[in-house]
Amino acid sequence: MGLKVPYVTNYLTEHCGDDAFATLEGYEAKGGYATARKVLRGSTPESVIELMKTSGLQGRGGAGFLTGLKWSFMPKGAEKPKYFCVNADESEPGSFKDRLLLERAPHKMLEGILIGAFAVGAAKTFIYIRGEYAEPAKQVQRAIDAAYAKGYLGKNVLGTGFSHDVVLHRGAGAYICGEETGLLESLEGKKGQPRKKPPFPAEHGAFGMPTTVNNVETFCHVPHILANGAEWFRGIGTEKSPGTTIFGVSGHVARPGLYELPLGTRLDEIVFEHAGGVPGGRKVKGVIPGGMSMPILPAGQLDVPMANEFLRERKTMLGTGGIMVMDETTCMVRASCVISYFFRDESCGQCTQCREGTGWLHKIVTRLERGAGSLDDIALIEDVCSKMEGQTICAFSDAAVWPLQGMLRHFREDFELHVRHQKCPFPESFEL
Amino acid sequence: MAQITVDGEVIEVAAGRTILQALDDAGLLMNGVDVPHYCWHPKLTIDGSCRLCQVEVEGIPKLQIACNTPVKDGMVVHTKTERVKRAREGVMELLLINHPLDCPICDQAGECKLQDYAYEYGVPHSRTKEPRRAAKKRVDLGPTIVFDQERCILCRRCVRFCREVPGTGELAVFERGDRSVIETFPGTALDNPYSMNVADICPVGALTTKDFRFKIRVWFLTDVPGVCTGCSNGCNVHLGVANNKVYRYLPRRNDAVNDTWICDAGRMSYAEIGAESRLKNAYLRNERGVLETAAYKSAIERAAARLRALLEAKGPGVIAALASPHATNEDLLTLRRLLDAAGVQNAGVAVPHWQPDALLVKAERAANAEGARALGFPDAHVVLDRVRAGGVDALLVLGHDVLDPAYLGDPAALASLDTVIVLDTHRSELERVAHVLLPVRVAAEKHGTLTNHAGRVQRVRPAVEPAFEAYAEGEVLARLGALLQLPGFDGKWDVRETSRALGTSSPAFVGVDVESVGEQGRPLATVVAGASGTGGRA
Amino acid sequence: MVITPELRSRIEAAMRSYPHKRGALLPALHLVHEQAGHVTPETARELAALFDLRPAEVMEVVHFYNMFYDRPQGRHHVYVCTNLPCSLRGARGLLRALEAHLGIEPGETTQDGRITLGHEECLGACAYAPMMRIDGTYHEDLDVEEAKRILDALE
Repeated sequence: MGLKVPYVTNYLTEHCGDDAFATLEGYEAKGGYATARKVLRGSTPESVIELMKTSGLQGRGGAGFLTGLKWSFMPKGAEKPKYFCVNADESEPGSFKDRLLLERAPHKMLEGILIGAFAVGAAKTFIYIRGEYAEPAKQVQRAIDAAYAKGYLGKNVLGTGFSHDVVLHRGAGAYICGEETGLLESLEGKKGQPRKKPPFPAEHGAFGMPTTVNNVETFCHVPHILANGAEWFRGIGTEKSPGTTIFGVSGHVARPGLYELPLGTRLDEIVFEHAGGVPGGRKVKGVIPGGMSMPILPAGQLDVPMANEFLRERKTMLGTGGIMVMDETTCMVRASCVISYFFRDESCGQCTQCREGTGWLHKIVTRLERGAGSLDDIALIEDVCSKMEGQTICAFSDAAVWPLQGMLRHFREDFELHVRHQKCPFPESFEL
Repeated sequence: MAQITVDGEVIEVAAGRTILQALDDAGLLMNGVDVPHYCWHPKLTIDGSCRLCQVEVEGIPKLQIACNTPVKDGMVVHTKTERVKRAREGVMELLLINHPLDCPICDQAGECKLQDYAYEYGVPHSRTKEPRRAAKKRVDLGPTIVFDQERCILCRRCVRFCREVPGTGELAVFERGDRSVIETFPGTALDNPYSMNVADICPVGALTTKDFRFKIRVWFLTDVPGVCTGCSNGCNVHLGVANNKVYRYLPRRNDAVNDTWICDAGRMSYAEIGAESRLKNAYLRNERGVLETAAYKSAIERAAARLRALLEAKGPGVIAALASPHATNEDLLTLRRLLDAAGVQNAGVAVPHWQPDALLVKAERAANAEGARALGFPDAHVVLDRVRAGGVDALLVLGHDVLDPAYLGDPAALASLDTVIVLDTHRSELERVAHVLLPVRVAAEKHGTLTNHAGRVQRVRPAVEPAFEAYAEGEVLARLGALLQLPGFDGKWDVRETSRALGTSSPAFVGVDVESVGEQGRPLATVVAGASGTGGRA
Repeated sequence: MVITPELRSRIEAAMRSYPHKRGALLPALHLVHEQAGHVTPETARELAALFDLRPAEVMEVVHFYNMFYDRPQGRHHVYVCTNLPCSLRGARGLLRALEAHLGIEPGETTQDGRITLGHEECLGACAYAPMMRIDGTYHEDLDVEEAKRILDALE
């Protein structure tokens, strides 16, 4: 089953509809690898990092950290081998953009890797791809093999003296491996349990070596920024959040799919104009703007530009740009049930608050959904959330409580109705 | 070095330490500065997962876990703020939502960190409505340990212990999230020479030893500091005592000796103290050659009479002695003085050996072989050679280590002697050849010091009183000396005085006596050169 | 012996891609699953020997990941994504229909050993819901009848 091409494309996803673009020849035919060639032959690592910093590119994996700054944390010099990791563990519910890039533009990612590796002096890149992405993994492996054959990877890349290896590593089904240190543990053949910090990956990362982890889409921006310059990049999107990103729209919309749009595009524009709004004349009830970890926005707050500086004002975040639309039939307690089940299922189990809290929250929300809860239970959810937030090794626990806090912030009434009616008052809601 | 301030108190700490380590180094942890913790253990790698040790660090917005936050010069730490208190309450409540709360039937009650901290930091009532997580009860983990999965709080100390200390790695956390459980690999047991330590480090009642569980409630026990006498390492222990009985050894922390560990064999050696095989009566061999019980006093007098007869008839050259490597330095000094006063030069010590390991177990299977050597007792072979050559008529034997296969194996070689006087803690084959048998006290029944393989002098003290007439070897020998009318012997024996005399008798012992060594022991002033060779001297 | 010389050499080749050979443990477990479908205690022991690990360390990794199994599975894994985007578009109904069709509950295997049915967390196909993963292949934009046909066609 072929992966659907974005409804709206821009520089990142241009040509993704063309099967040949996934091949090395097809990619070269569209000018691919020309930037890497130029950078490796004519630039210094420092100038690449400087350009990346100036560009203001924010990582596209969810946290939105500045990519150039992250690269600059890598130690200089070559006492130890340094590694790059690509986070292709895309598992945030509502997110499916990296899958497109992995399948349809693998060489663009490889070119970004090559430029980045040159900039930080990395000897090797591990692409950590989620285990369920079997087809994308095949495409990426094919691309890696082709790049080796053509001299883009391996020893003495393009005769420049720079050497770089790329290894594709398949995960095996664990959401937490998308957390960068969980990813590193998993890469090392262990359970994907996030590491306590310090030490940080840039100092002690994969196999004990300095390591930088970046998301697939993040790497795909790199060749474009190097080719067109930081000014060009900053000309797209908002002042603080430059560039495009690939929004994934799912749920109750007429045209679910991928949309590459500048950051700062308004959420209502994406939902109603691009994705066609809710089918069947129904109204929107709420929209999760950035993957399931991010708090929901009610229908009245969709007039927000999709960039962190604006979303934060509404107590939510861009995350991975996975937009989930829920129509007026939706029971938000039921949605909370699905959300809390997911986080209970995927908690790695290390930290007390997360291990025990995710389980407890799921029990309380389930009780409320069944109509067996009380008003105290609603307060209890808030209290348990406050005990889980900001106190654990990684941000998973935060991610588990933010969406529930959002639900209570905007749809508390749904919870109270369940208590009052002692059953779910939304007969037309999706099935659980 | 760095300076940090914790709750207003300035602490000097070594660079590279974390806040919790710094508090531990300074001896303040849970002893002035309360930072409760489960997963952190001073002798295991930092885990950082229980999240109970969160503290407030000025300049850092989020609470930080004290176990993993490196100290920086000038760092200001608060452990008692409202935020900290609330974080602890949160952790405690979440730990308790799935805990069975079966304290009344739990053997850990009384020394349970969940109980303690819940009392100190917990919320007073339960807010859960659903059933608690059901898990396996009474899992037979191996020859020594029983596991209650429901009580487990997943601090993973036991998992790390098995991987990091004995290196056997039997335990792992299977599954994930709130389904996580600690298990052994299918079909295998927790079975290593240090396995019982997991019960000590388990902060709750999840892991208990088969040996101790349900024997007695811990609040009836008095902890008496002492030393394990199983080998020459001299691991520091607490003897758990009630009703004049030792119920268990728990390792007592001594970073110079045993960290916080003890081997299973040593731990179980507490049973020797109250064993049926203790020598409980004085015995004399009668005219028909049969041993019969005797009053202690008459047995010592008989011993003295036989020795005096030989001294007068043949002189001290026909008398020899074997020191016990289990006796205290004070006992052995008294033996040394007795022999010197009588002019007996032929004396040594028999030290049994066993298989050592790289961790704690030392080759010499006795607590004070090093002390015996420091007091001038060479290896017993010099004595036994002379016995075999027919040059000995009387042998004074402390302990029965000479029966070790490396020495005699069998007492037959002593059968032809005119006089064999035995002072012993336990019964042995020496009964076949002894003319006089005198029960003496084990280390747990007396004051004194023991010198471990590395020359560290450590204190023992009476935890129990023997239920039969028995004295320290030193006291018996003091009375014997008096009966022999030897110079310097008046029949009285004061262990403290004797201990102080160690320093004047042997330069090695200067400054180390029963009072001055404290609870952590002190090294000998000079280590006896080349004496051991097998002890893995550090 | 589960790890044949041929499998062993493939695992050893994978080890060379990593600075420490343990990095190849997940690849090795994938290879074992391709060949044997699940990891028995015996296999875990053999892997442990190969990786200089303890068997418990191999087994805890097996337990941590959804795609590794410590007990026999059907010849095909059929997983319906039931996360929120898919649930909003009828995934639970699809799963129930497939349960009824196969006569098994999630987590169970058909008596003929053909199919193990389950539900899975988000598979990255949110816009193409409802969907299911059969082994390495995604089937998207499903309706119940089409899904049944796909299942019936499985060997």
